[in-house]
Amino acid sequence: MYEDIVLYALKVAEDLGASYAEVRYHRIDGFGIASRNGSIIAAGTEVNDGIGIRVLVNGALGFSSTNVLDRESIRRAVEDAYRAAYTHSRFMKKPIEFAPAKVGRASYSIIERESFDSMDIDQKTSMHRELWDRVSKSNTEAKVKIFTLNYTEFVEEKVILNTDGAYIRSRIPRLSVFYNIVVSHPQKGSIQRFEQLGGSGGLEQLKQWNVEDTVVEEAKVLEKILTSAIEPPREEIPVIVGSEIVALIVHESCGHPSEADRILGREAAQAGKSFIKPGMIGERIGNKHASVIDDPTIPNSYGFYLYDDEGVSARPRYLYREGIINEFLHNRATAQVFNVNSNAAARAMNYGSEPIVRMANTYLKPGDYSFDELLDDVKLGVYMKSFMEWNIDDERWSQRYVGLEAYLIENGEITKFVRNPVLEVTTRAFYSLIDAVGKNLRFYAGTCGKGEPMQGVPVWFGGPDVRLSKIRLGVA
Amino acid sequence: MGSEIEVAQKIVDEAIKRGFDEAATVVTSSKRVMVKIANSEPTVIQHWTPITIELYLTKDGRVFVGSYEPKSLDELLNGIDRIQRIALKVAESQLYAPLPEPVPVKLAEGLFDTRILKAMDSIDRLSERIIEVAHREEIDSIAGMLQLNYVREALVTSKGTQLSEDKTALQGYVRAFAEPDGSGQWCFTSTKYDVSGLEEMASIAARYAVDSKNRVDIEPGIYDVILSPMVFGNLLEYIVDMTSAFSVLMGLSMFMNNEVGNSVSSEKLTIIDEPRTPELPNASSFDFEGLETYNKPIIEDGVLRTLLHNTKTAKMMDVKSTANAGWIKPNPWNIVVKPGDAKLDEIISSVRRGLLITNNWYTRMQSYVDGLFSTVARDAIFYVENGRIVRPINKIRIADSFLNILKNIEHIGKELYNIQWWEVSTPSKIPYVLIRNIRISKHII
Repeated sequence: MYEDIVLYALKVAEDLGASYAEVRYHRIDGFGIASRNGSIIAAGTEVNDGIGIRVLVNGALGFSSTNVLDRESIRRAVEDAYRAAYTHSRFMKKPIEFAPAKVGRASYSIIERESFDSMDIDQKTSMHRELWDRVSKSNTEAKVKIFTLNYTEFVEEKVILNTDGAYIRSRIPRLSVFYNIVVSHPQKGSIQRFEQLGGSGGLEQLKQWNVEDTVVEEAKVLEKILTSAIEPPREEIPVIVGSEIVALIVHESCGHPSEADRILGREAAQAGKSFIKPGMIGERIGNKHASVIDDPTIPNSYGFYLYDDEGVSARPRYLYREGIINEFLHNRATAQVFNVNSNAAARAMNYGSEPIVRMANTYLKPGDYSFDELLDDVKLGVYMKSFMEWNIDDERWSQRYVGLEAYLIENGEITKFVRNPVLEVTTRAFYSLIDAVGKNLRFYAGTCGKGEPMQGVPVWFGGPDVRLSKIRLGVA
Repeated sequence: MGSEIEVAQKIVDEAIKRGFDEAATVVTSSKRVMVKIANSEPTVIQHWTPITIELYLTKDGRVFVGSYEPKSLDELLNGIDRIQRIALKVAESQLYAPLPEPVPVKLAEGLFDTRILKAMDSIDRLSERIIEVAHREEIDSIAGMLQLNYVREALVTSKGTQLSEDKTALQGYVRAFAEPDGSGQWCFTSTKYDVSGLEEMASIAARYAVDSKNRVDIEPGIYDVILSPMVFGNLLEYIVDMTSAFSVLMGLSMFMNNEVGNSVSSEKLTIIDEPRTPELPNASSFDFEGLETYNKPIIEDGVLRTLLHNTKTAKMMDVKSTANAGWIKPNPWNIVVKPGDAKLDEIISSVRRGLLITNNWYTRMQSYVDGLFSTVARDAIFYVENGRIVRPINKIRIADSFLNILKNIEHIGKELYNIQWWEVSTPSKIPYVLIRNIRISKHII
C-alpha cells in the first residue's frame, strides 16, 4: 500500500536536512445514502487519498500534502513543507522539539463481523423506507413532519512512517447512522431531535443499535413532550443528568481543556484556550466522583486506534482522577514542553491534515447506583435524559445544556415531562455537585471539530447517569 | 492528468459511456498556503496542492454524488464503475430534475489577483507584518491564521456546459491577548492582495484586547445589544443557511413556517446573496449546474424575497432556480447586508442600557424549526449605559430566537466589514447592528 512512495518522501525530507520528518499515506473510502421521509435523495461515494508530510526544520514545523503520487509531485510537496518551515524558523522564540518516544512497528486492523458488502444496496435503500413507514405511523396527535436519515460506511487506511523509526499500518472500517426527526402539532408547535449512532466494525452494529425501535420510541416521546410538558421547577432541586448529557459534558469540560496544545495556546484563535493552566496537574476540579478517562483502545469504538499518527502506542488516559486534574492529552511536541512522554493523542482527519492533539473515546467512570437508586431519595427533581442545544465557552468553563427529553421527579418516581430545562453551570460546579453515579456506562458517537483548517474526527463520548445534589435550572 | 477542463470532459464522457443518463463534474486544482500563529510565533506552516473532483451522475431518476481526492484518474473511473454496478438498485430520487441546458455565462472580472500567487513563497513577510502591527498596542501576544489561496475550477456537464474560472483569496484572523484578561478578535477576507485589510484586522483585534481588560460580571436579563460584524455575520450564516430550500425540505429551517413574501424581520434589514461581488472570495460566475449567477436579495426591507434554489429544489417548489447549486443543496455565495446610515458611535449613543458584543462562537440550536438558539459571547464585551461604553464585562450568552433577533433590529451600521473566519465560513460584508430586547444568560454557579 504505497510504502515505496512513503519511504521516498521520507528520504527526500531527510536529504533536505529536516531534523524530524513523518509521512502518512492516508486513504478514506466512503459510501452513503441520504433520504427524506423514506424517499432517497442521493447515494454518494467519497475517496480521499494521498500523503501528508510533516517536517521539523530549525525548530519550525512545516506540513504539506498531495494526492498526486508521482515522485516529482512528492518531492515538490516535501520541499514545500521544508521551505515553509525553514523561512518561518527565524520567528521561533522557542523552537519546537519532539519528546523522545518509543514508536511502534506494527500492523493492525478491525475485522467487520458482517462486511459492508454483506447487505445488498437495495436492502440498504429499503431500510430508509421501512424506517419512515414505522416512524410516520408512530404518533396519533402530532405528526412526524420530517424524518431524514444519513447512512454512512467508510474505511480508513493508513501507513505512517517517521524518521524515528515508526512504521504503522492500520485499517479501520466505521459505520454511522444519523437522523433528524421533526414532530409538529397544529396548536402546540414543533419539536426536533438529532441522533447519531456510530462505531468501528461492520454491519453487525446495525442490529446492536436497533434503529427501527429507537426511532419509533423517539417520535412517541417527542409527541408527548410537545403535548404535555410543563415548565421545570424554579427552586434549587436535585437533577439527574442523563448519560447522553454526561457524555457530552465530559468531552467538552474535561477532554477539551485537557488538550495540552490548547493549554499552551496553540488553538487560542480557534477553539480557544483552557481554564487548565500548565501548572495545574494535581489541583482539584471536582469531588471523588469525578474520574474521566479517554481511551482510544476500546474495541469497536468510533474513536478507536492502537497507534497515533506519530507512531506512539495508545493507552487509556486518566484526565481527571477522583476530582483531581491528573493528566493532559499529549503529542510529542507538547510532551517535550511538559517533560513527559507522549500519550499518543496525535490524530489527523485525512491526508491533507496535520496531526494535532485529539480525544478518542472520553467517558466518566461509572459508579454503583442503579437508575432506581438514583431516583430513590429525590422528593422533587428533574431528570434530563437528552439534549439539543448546548455550548461552552472557549476556556471550557461556562457551559449550557438544554434538555429535550426531560422529566419531573416526584417522591422518587418519574411523573411528567418538563420542557426545555436549562443546565447552565461552570465546570467546577458540575464536577463538585455530583453526589451519586450510575453503574450503566453508555457511549454516543460524534465528530469532534478542532484545528485550522477544521478537522473532524470520529469520537465516542460516554458516561453513566449522574445525580447533582442541588441546582437551579433555567428554562429556554 | 491534463487541463482541468480536459479532465472534467473526460470524466463526463466516461460516465456517459458507462450508461449514465447525465453527468456533471467540477474539477478543482488549487494551491494554498497557511500560517497558523500562537503566542506571537508561527506554530505550523501548511501547504496544500490538491486536485479535487466533485461528481454528479443520474440514471433513470436516480441521483449519485461523489467527492474525490483521488491519486489518479483511473481510481476515479473505478469509483464511477462502482456506482454503475449499484445504479439501478438505488431508489429514484424524490428530488430529481434534469440538469439545465447550457446558458451563456458572462464571466465575472476581478476574481484573480496574481500578487496573491506571487506572495505564497514569501508568506513569512505577511506573518511578520501582522504580528508587528498587532504589537503596536500594549498587548501580550496574538494567535491567528493567515492564508493565501489560488483555485482553478472547471465545470463540465453532459448537456454541453464547459466553464472555467480562476480565483484567489487572502484570508486571516487574529485574536490578541492583553493581561490580565483582555482579548479581542477580528478577521479579514478578500480576493485581492489587500495587506491594509490584514493590518486593520490586527489593529482592531489588539485595540479590543486592550480595551477589554479588567472585566466585571453583569446579571443576566434583557438588554439592548450591539452586535459586531463578527457576531452578526455568525448569526446570519445560520439564518441564511435556513433560506436554502434544501434546509427547508430537510427540517433544518425556521422558514418552513414562513412563505416568500412574508415579513420576517425589521424592515431596516436587507440581506443580499452576492456571487457577483468580485471582492469576496466565494464570488462565482456560474453554479454547479452551469447557470449564470446573479446578485439577489434574500430578505429585502424585512420581507423574505426568495429561498435559495438549484433546479431540483426549484422544481419541487415550482419556482425557478436562483443559480445557487450545489447539485443537492443550494448554498449562498457571499452574504452582504445593505448598509444603514449609522456610525458605530451613533449606535452606541442610542443605547440606554445594553451591551456591545464583539465576538462569539458555539451557536447551537434547540430547534431549527423554531429558530431557538444560544451562542457564547467571547473576547471583548462591553456594558453600555446612557449612550456610552462604561466597562468591559465577563462572558455571557445570547439565548433567544433568530426571529426575535431579526424583528428587533433597530440600527444598521453604515460601514461594512469583510468577515470570514472559523465561525463565519461564508465570506460576508457585515455592519454593526443594534438589536433591542435580547435575552442574555450566563451560568448560575
